[in-house]
Amino acid sequence: MNEKVYNIDDLQNVNVDGEKYIILQIGPSHPGSGHMRIKVWLDGDIIVKVDPDIGFVHRTSEWLSERREWIKAVPIVERIMLPDTVHANLAYVLTVEKLLGIEPPPRAQYLRSLVAEINRITSHLYGIGIFGIFLGSSTVYMWAFGDREPFIDLMEMLTGARITTSYIIPGGVRWDLPNGFKERAETVLQYMERRLKDYEDIWVKNPVVQARTINVGTLKKEDAIALGVVGPNLRASGVYYDTRKHQPYAAYSNIDFEVPTMKNGDSYDRLLIRVEEIKQSIRMIRQILKDIPEGKIVADQIYNQLNPVMKKNYEEKKRVMFPAFMIHMRPPAGEAAAKVEAGRGEIFFYIKSTGDKYPYRFRWVTPSFRNLPYFTHVAVGHRLADLPTIYGSIDYFPPEADR
Amino acid sequence: MSEVRKPRDPVTGHVKALAKGFKYLVEPNRMTLDYPAETMKLPPNYRGFFTVDDKKCIGCSMCEMVCPPEAITMVPRIIGEGGKTIPAPEGEKEAKGPKRTKRPVVNWGKCIFCYFCVDVCPVDAFIPTQVHDLAFEKDSEYRPSYEEYLKPPEEPYKNAKKVVSKADLKRGVGYDPAP
Ligand code: SF4
Ligand code: SF4
Repeated sequence: MNEKVYNIDDLQNVNVDGEKYIILQIGPSHPGSGHMRIKVWLDGDIIVKVDPDIGFVHRTSEWLSERREWIKAVPIVERIMLPDTVHANLAYVLTVEKLLGIEPPPRAQYLRSLVAEINRITSHLYGIGIFGIFLGSSTVYMWAFGDREPFIDLMEMLTGARITTSYIIPGGVRWDLPNGFKERAETVLQYMERRLKDYEDIWVKNPVVQARTINVGTLKKEDAIALGVVGPNLRASGVYYDTRKHQPYAAYSNIDFEVPTMKNGDSYDRLLIRVEEIKQSIRMIRQILKDIPEGKIVADQIYNQLNPVMKKNYEEKKRVMFPAFMIHMRPPAGEAAAKVEAGRGEIFFYIKSTGDKYPYRFRWVTPSFRNLPYFTHVAVGHRLADLPTIYGSIDYFPPEADR
Repeated sequence: MSEVRKPRDPVTGHVKALAKGFKYLVEPNRMTLDYPAETMKLPPNYRGFFTVDDKKCIGCSMCEMVCPPEAITMVPRIIGEGGKTIPAPEGEKEAKGPKRTKRPVVNWGKCIFCYFCVDVCPVDAFIPTQVHDLAFEKDSEYRPSYEEYLKPPEEPYKNAKKVVSKADLKRGVGYDPAP
């Protein structure tokens, strides 16, 4: 890391020796920038200032959701956070449930945690894979994307879709555990545990990776808190904070798990924390499948509105159909907010209802957006070649930030 | 966590990484499906193309109302012999009058396969299938007429070898011949 102090606000674009900074535009149509542009000021090849230019994939999810019936926002929020759909779905539904005053039954809570943890593993594998290709390792890129597959298969078996599951609805979930799910999940978990050892040798403890990531893009604990960073990136800086522990939702208050934290907050720690979280998620999935209580998968308020055909379907196929309430729901006037720990950090939802058939105000903040200060803050002083390391390690997903 | 973080000594590290790479070179971990020579038989709740049971449907329009991308259009129909419907006269937009009813048609260009319509139907009139890999050549094929929509979707590769996926301890995803 370069120790020279730069005046970042110096818009003259000249350095102390009177030489001009080079201004480099990385993206938006660049394989190493995602759907965004990163404007970089360089002194030689030392980064002086970074200005991320976001908004290229802004999809007006809030505006769209304010002009639709409540249930129709579920697919919209899912499509914003594609590697992490379940968490977006869950966060939205938790907010609506608070407005409606519905409490899902325990089995539904466990099923929610189950898909959430499966999804967290796929999301972290996605992040690790992208980090790999940013550092030039196509091996780990292929491995991680391949190893998402068994987990996506599990989601498919449970929810009927691979990615955009739309599984969680106000009051419960849409399908119960299919036959043979537990055995299949156990095989997948054992496979993943073995593969994590392989990842360790080929990637995590690879001297090349360590050389390129240790002490690169360090964010200190105090700075992480001050900048409002969330999720694994925050915990990599040593802050013990996880919404699942501190404000438990779904079944997390009954599940025994640890929140791994690191000390240094550099790119290597941000990689390690994802590996550790995968291990914790594996542990959680085992517990959930062992402890899952019997019972209904949808709240009585919804169940009682099902007509006889739907009730028959529920008994025979364990499939929750939608009563007309789902279309015509009008949550009572009021405000509600909910938080969910997604793969990349905390999602925050705020919804205001006026008792109408559409939400009056629909506001959500996604984790990638809150991890944005990383770019402006940690890259300064590094060489340009370290920028992909920093970008890859924070697992930034532009469509998620732009919403 | 400090022991996790400790840098590996370079020689051991490189040797271990190379050895692991060599192991997978000799014994690759392939989970690829040879599509379309092999196609997968999907779980019964997989959300693929679907059609509607003309006799069961009561024309209530609930599916149209719940569809998030507004992919469903209701077409006016007349109830004919044996509960089957026949097209309403040309130019008739409203389903008013004796024996008039409506039936849903899905625009496949808009549908996101959320199955909200299938689940909201009060008489469970939709017939789901697991066909998911249809391709359309023309824009107009996305928007079938009601008669076209009633035909059950056909699988594109009928002669392909059918397999079912399973969890495999060695490869992650494995395939068994479909029963
Ligand atoms: S599956 Fe979803 S998107 Fe497709 S027609 Fe039904 S409700 Fe509309
Ligand atoms: S919801 Fe069912 S019965 Fe009503 S119009 Fe649609 S298919 Fe027909």
